[in-house]
Amino acid sequence: MMRFFQWLHRWVSLIIVIQVLLWLVSGFYFSLNGHHGMSGHQYLEHGDHAMLSEVAPTVDVADIRQRYPDAKTIRLHSIAGIPQFIVTSVDDTHYLNGLTGAVWTTSPELATTIAMSTYNGPGDVQEVSAIQGSDEILNWDDAGYQVNLEDDLNTRIYIDAASGQMLNHRNTPWTLADWAFRLHFMDYSGGRSFNHLLIWSAGLLALWFSLSGLILLINNFAKGDMNPRRKPTMLEHLQREQKPVASSCGGGGTCGLCKVTLEGDDLPAPTPAEKILLSESEIEGGLRLSCQHRVDDKYSIKLPDHDAATVTLELATRRLLSPSIVELTFNSSEAVSYQAGQFMQFCIPHREQVLTRHYSMATSPDPHRFVFTVRQMPSPSEKIPPGIGSTYLCGMEKGATIEAIGPFGDFILSENSQRTQLFIGGGAGIAPLRALLQTELSRSQPRSCVFFYGARHVNELCYRNEFTGVDQLEYIPVISEPKENQGWKGATGFVHEEVEAWIRNQDVNQLDVYVCGPPPMLKATMAMLAEAGVPRDQIRFDDFGI
Amino acid sequence: MPQQQRTSRWRVWHRWLSVIFGVQMVIWSISGAYMVFFDLDFIHGDHLVQDITTVVPPDADVQPVSAVIQNYPHSQTVTLDTRWINQQLHSVYIAEGHHGTELLDATSLAPIELSEEHIVELANRYYAKGEPKVSSVVYLTENPPTELNPKLLPIWQVNYDDFGNTSLYLSPETGEMLVKRHTFWRGFDFFWMTHIMDYEDRTDIESWWLQAFMIGTFILMITGVVLLVYTISFRRKRPGGAE
Repeated sequence: MMRFFQWLHRWVSLIIVIQVLLWLVSGFYFSLNGHHGMSGHQYLEHGDHAMLSEVAPTVDVADIRQRYPDAKTIRLHSIAGIPQFIVTSVDDTHYLNGLTGAVWTTSPELATTIAMSTYNGPGDVQEVSAIQGSDEILNWDDAGYQVNLEDDLNTRIYIDAASGQMLNHRNTPWTLADWAFRLHFMDYSGGRSFNHLLIWSAGLLALWFSLSGLILLINNFAKGDMNPRRKPTMLEHLQREQKPVASSCGGGGTCGLCKVTLEGDDLPAPTPAEKILLSESEIEGGLRLSCQHRVDDKYSIKLPDHDAATVTLELATRRLLSPSIVELTFNSSEAVSYQAGQFMQFCIPHREQVLTRHYSMATSPDPHRFVFTVRQMPSPSEKIPPGIGSTYLCGMEKGATIEAIGPFGDFILSENSQRTQLFIGGGAGIAPLRALLQTELSRSQPRSCVFFYGARHVNELCYRNEFTGVDQLEYIPVISEPKENQGWKGATGFVHEEVEAWIRNQDVNQLDVYVCGPPPMLKATMAMLAEAGVPRDQIRFDDFGI
Repeated sequence: MPQQQRTSRWRVWHRWLSVIFGVQMVIWSISGAYMVFFDLDFIHGDHLVQDITTVVPPDADVQPVSAVIQNYPHSQTVTLDTRWINQQLHSVYIAEGHHGTELLDATSLAPIELSEEHIVELANRYYAKGEPKVSSVVYLTENPPTELNPKLLPIWQVNYDDFGNTSLYLSPETGEMLVKRHTFWRGFDFFWMTHIMDYEDRTDIESWWLQAFMIGTFILMITGVVLLVYTISFRRKRPGGAE
């Protein structure tokens, strides 16, 4: 649900952001200028009308009633000292001169006089022009005059010819404010209407946008994200202290790498993520994911990989194993003791920050030498960039150095069993399996080993020669795209299918299984092994920490 | 997730700014939506009232306007009009000037005093929402409600028991309806208050805190835009995972 609101907030903001900016800018303009500053009335004088006893009208209402028998109201007032009757009849309004009884007319001179009687600014009349309606006076299309004044505000005064009424003052600040209104109301006709489809849509979007933000904020409060005194998670704490702890999901509770052992009374209850990623006996033994719990004085944290340290690795050689897999060999001046099957966490510099990437060592342990197989990830399309970690590593010059933390991981050889060692690998998953195999086969009395390795093409079968014709090792390469590999005599199909056929004739209780490969292959293989009845605690797998 | 580390500082700022300014942003968008979605003519209450002017009866014996001016020489405006008083249509003069406003019988030029009953009668004629049900009539001389400009005092307030709680305000001198209010106007006024953040007079748009909130919202928006750029451009996950 919160993801939906996050999505909504993000995408609606993308649509509405420009209009929000316009609302803010125009709103700020309104606030800076105030009602008066935007009215155009800086030099408006509310003139006092003459007393009717002084302007002496000579026409009487009786005459007007005769001429306009449907008059509803007859109003007598004065304009520029001249009496004027306004007759409102059923469907029209008439303006009459109170001295002559004739229909009112406004000469340019009279218009100027009327305009100036409403003006208290410093300017003189610059120009009087007869006009028919104006963009600056809403809903006025009649004949009239525009009286321009020579002042600092560039004042214009509009006079209606039929009535002699001053319609309004306009000036430069008014024009600017008018544009601010257009932006604020999204009415680019100048009508200053804020009841139209465009602003309804924008209003609705803005409402969704701000309300989704509010819901997210409330959720943040509810989760305690806003509490400045809230303790960090153990993972955050360990990372801040630069303690060696692996994590590839960044604290999301999905990779299961940041295992720690907690010691103390009253250990925290396992979270749903832990119930999925840890076994019951592990939880019983105090094992937890450090991203799932906050630092607490009640218990102490023990790192499982206490030998892990930060080391500087120097690139020695680079070799292409297959069209997509590169073998990188690093030297370390410091001795690092690691076990076959373990991995290092690389610190990849990327745009002012450091990304972490995990790679397993691909040889039996050598404290000063680290071999990794890196799958080069080309861009699937132009829009998607190639893998950041692999691109960086494959682009390193010989002699260049990189920081890595480790070793980590419990994907190691079983002890105290004489069972057949079954290795199932695919693609770049070769690395830890090769390390395990090398270690096992170099023992004085190695256990019997079987290695199924899947690839799409023959030329992707890494280290093929190394595994062929070795005592104690049965090597079964499997090609999944045989059509493109004319002349391939070996097994074809998916690697787990080949294992499935093989395992039927085996005593599954007499197998120790090691699986490493890309997620779909791993998933299919695990399902197949469960189906075949291999005991779960005899299966070890490395899922690259995804 | 690496971008999380990078964006976390922006995100913290975005969250904390939104506690103060984001909440006002919500208020702005709610109040803005209200003002946008209700038609302004409806808000003004144009549907509440009707035009009650009628043609001056041709047989009405009307004194010449000069007689009115003679009696009220300070008049600046004199209007011949009609008024329904006690179920009868009267021709009247309204003389306005420095002396104030006078309602006069057009035949006798005698001043007309409008009583409460007269006011209610006129208000009911203005009222356009069916059978008028008056709930209260108040003669306001001081402490006007917020919905009324104090300059219009004194004034008659006629309240109706209807959907929208219509109130009509009539001039005690002329009986003319000057102001009309209903629930949706009051809602608009309330949201206008929250929109401009002037919680007292509901008119000042130049307050420093309004400006401060706009600047704060601007900063909030900048942090949001930065987050938007980061999250939308870095969101893609890489396939595989070994890398």
